[in-house]
Amino acid sequence: MRNARLWEPRPTRAYRAFKLVNAAVLIGIVILTVYPFVNIIARSFSSETFIQTGQVNLVPRGFNLTTYRIVISDPMFWTNYRNTVVYTTVATAISMVLTTCYAYVLSKKKLWGRSVLVWIAVFTLFFTGGLIPNYILVTSLGLVDTIWAIVLPNAISVFNLLVMKSFFENMPPELEEAAEVDGVDTYRILLRIVLPLSKAVIATMTLFYAVSFWNSWFTAFLYLDHADLFPVTMYLRNLIAGATGASAAGAASGDLTQAAANIQSVTIVLIVLPIVLVYPFIQRYFVSGVTLGSVKG
Amino acid sequence: MYRMSRREALVAAGAASLWLAGCSSAGAKKSGLNLSANKVGAMGSFGVGDQFKATKSLTFPILHLTNPGYPLKKDWLFWSELTKRTNVTLDTTEVPLSDYENKRSLLIGSGQAPLIIPKTYPGQEAPFVASGVALPVSDYIDLMPNFKDKVAKWNLGGDLDTLRQADGKFYLLPGLHQDVWTDYSLAVRTDVLTKMNLKVPTTWDEVRTLLQSLKSGGATSTYPFSDRWGVPTPGGNLLNIIGQAYGAPGGWGYANATWDTKAKKYVFTGAMDQFKQMLQFLHSLVADKLLDPESFTQSDDNAIQKFVSGKSLVISTNAQTVVNPYRTNLTTSIPGATVVKIPVPIGPMGAVKAGSRLENGVMVLKKARDSENFVAMMQFIDWLWYSDAGQVFSKWGVEGVTYTGSVEAGTLKLAPDVNWAGLNPSGTKLLNKDFGFFNGVFAYGGSTKLLNTQFPAEEQAFQKVMTGRKTLPVAPPYPFTADEREQATLWETPLKDYVTQNALKFILGQRDFGQWDAYVNELKGKNSGAYIDLVNKAQQRFAKTKG
Repeated sequence: MRNARLWEPRPTRAYRAFKLVNAAVLIGIVILTVYPFVNIIARSFSSETFIQTGQVNLVPRGFNLTTYRIVISDPMFWTNYRNTVVYTTVATAISMVLTTCYAYVLSKKKLWGRSVLVWIAVFTLFFTGGLIPNYILVTSLGLVDTIWAIVLPNAISVFNLLVMKSFFENMPPELEEAAEVDGVDTYRILLRIVLPLSKAVIATMTLFYAVSFWNSWFTAFLYLDHADLFPVTMYLRNLIAGATGASAAGAASGDLTQAAANIQSVTIVLIVLPIVLVYPFIQRYFVSGVTLGSVKG
Repeated sequence: MYRMSRREALVAAGAASLWLAGCSSAGAKKSGLNLSANKVGAMGSFGVGDQFKATKSLTFPILHLTNPGYPLKKDWLFWSELTKRTNVTLDTTEVPLSDYENKRSLLIGSGQAPLIIPKTYPGQEAPFVASGVALPVSDYIDLMPNFKDKVAKWNLGGDLDTLRQADGKFYLLPGLHQDVWTDYSLAVRTDVLTKMNLKVPTTWDEVRTLLQSLKSGGATSTYPFSDRWGVPTPGGNLLNIIGQAYGAPGGWGYANATWDTKAKKYVFTGAMDQFKQMLQFLHSLVADKLLDPESFTQSDDNAIQKFVSGKSLVISTNAQTVVNPYRTNLTTSIPGATVVKIPVPIGPMGAVKAGSRLENGVMVLKKARDSENFVAMMQFIDWLWYSDAGQVFSKWGVEGVTYTGSVEAGTLKLAPDVNWAGLNPSGTKLLNKDFGFFNGVFAYGGSTKLLNTQFPAEEQAFQKVMTGRKTLPVAPPYPFTADEREQATLWETPLKDYVTQNALKFILGQRDFGQWDAYVNELKGKNSGAYIDLVNKAQQRFAKTKG
């Protein structure tokens, strides 16, 4: 430890001042970003009167679990929650398979017609069919009101595709050449050599896809016509829009009044929870994956 | 950013494709009145008071707005009882309340919409009329005896005229009210009034005196009046109710053109003397620190916080908000606090009430006209939405199961185990959530007697005062032609925005009333004159063709 210190240049006063200011600013930013989240959590555990009178900040006031009990006992919440889990899992799986295959193919410079394939993907970044044509297409294919309307359109995100493509391009070609010399075919190269070496980018892409499917409500809004198929984001969105309507719906008696006040925060906490729990474990791949893909190119 | 652009894209795409759809189908079909091929399942004779029952089992597709307070359940008593009574099953496309209008445009634009589209507010049908997808229901009201009966009985012809398009037809079956229903007013902390020996105000001048007394008596250290409903329309409720009292509604009720009963023509609302007087009154409240300047723009939550924590003592309300959140929270945060909704204060116009007796209603798609069940469908709509029996059914449910007594005798009561909006607090089941009645898709409008059944005693007292006030006549309609509408739309929004912007400046004292004439000239620069000419031209044309 001591020896290591000897090699460090002696910090100047200006540098120390900079570090101090830097730390202060960063802590300020952390507080700004964390505060709303902590506030939502505090509200979800607070009683209605304290919320309405604006007395809840970082700590729950009038602690109670009534709203959690009510939201958890709503079967529609769980139906929609289950839908979200299913949609996210299936959609992420489909997206990962399609994106990986497409990206791997595009990373091969020797491929004939490669630039055409790249342009087909990039073209969709600039031009789309538009909403109504898309809707008519999905309807004519008979996908409306099924899980496929959620998981098939937008299965490939061009941004993710390009990140992955450049990651594969940066892989040393010698590895694959060596495998070829040993008589391994293309598919086994992808499965046995390339993919095991691409854990970082795969984890990152999986996270990108999973988070975006978990949060998405727009495709569900477009293509689903029955509430028992909606993802939980639609449930939440409707809840927030109808927050004033909740009282209109007859929520005047004790328990339900309590629910109307903090039902949004409770639902937000319940929906965000899985993502918040998973994030820390994937984050280390997340940073390395994204930078690996882009910087070296 | 993200959401806006999607929405805009949606609206633009919808409008474009509707326009295209309109081009291709216009004139292709003629809607003749020969209905002999469309009578499958219909009743041979169907009159006022008859129970509609299809002669064979039918299914009608319908767009269903799903309210988060009572999400749709397939096992609702409403569905099974409806089928039992009418032999009709409704096939629902469920759309969450949050995105109802967008999805409606999308479905209609892509030609996938169900034939019956309820929850459409007067005016919202206009784009679908231009594109030719909406049915001109006025051609078929002979199939709807209950609708015709209520229009005649309640003298709603003038109100219906406001729905007529340039071709003289209307394309929406609106909800019909017997009387103008006033819901919004001011909530006042009566315990403070009693303590300070003050009276509940009846006029806007008395409101001013009351606020002064509250302020000088030290009842509050900040502003005695801090209002809500300022987002997204600044001063939405306040400018509306006070504007009505002065004869020039602002806020939610603002329309660029207001009918001048004396001159028998339309004038520009934002430039009227009455509008100016209203702004001067509000400015005097702000200048004397009686009205919180944040009232016009703060969020509802902020305004409610100030009220239930006792910082402010007056706030806008409706029948529901006075109970929850105001009263429920006040009683726990300030022991002994009481709050009531006072009758709408009276202004220079006298004891009057204004407003439309039309509610949101049902739009029928034109392609329904080609269905062999068309006549049955119109009879069904007539029974469910417009007959007395249908209205009581969709509102209160089944006699002996969800309610007892009768509307006519004024004895209607919820069943002991059923609750709705706190009317029967001991009930464990909710009328809407557990049974599917009192669903906003089906239950609205109706006679004053029917309306009164849904109010607690306190609100009935309020309604009694309001019923005693004179209803102002409906302004004559001015339906635009397609070209005129396009021109008018280009002028309307900038004018409205400019009026709102400057109304706030005048109220808050950022602009002096000495500049009023300059302001009126600025409006002229934004084509207020040309706009009013267009409105008057359309009004006279309509009066001539109709007269």
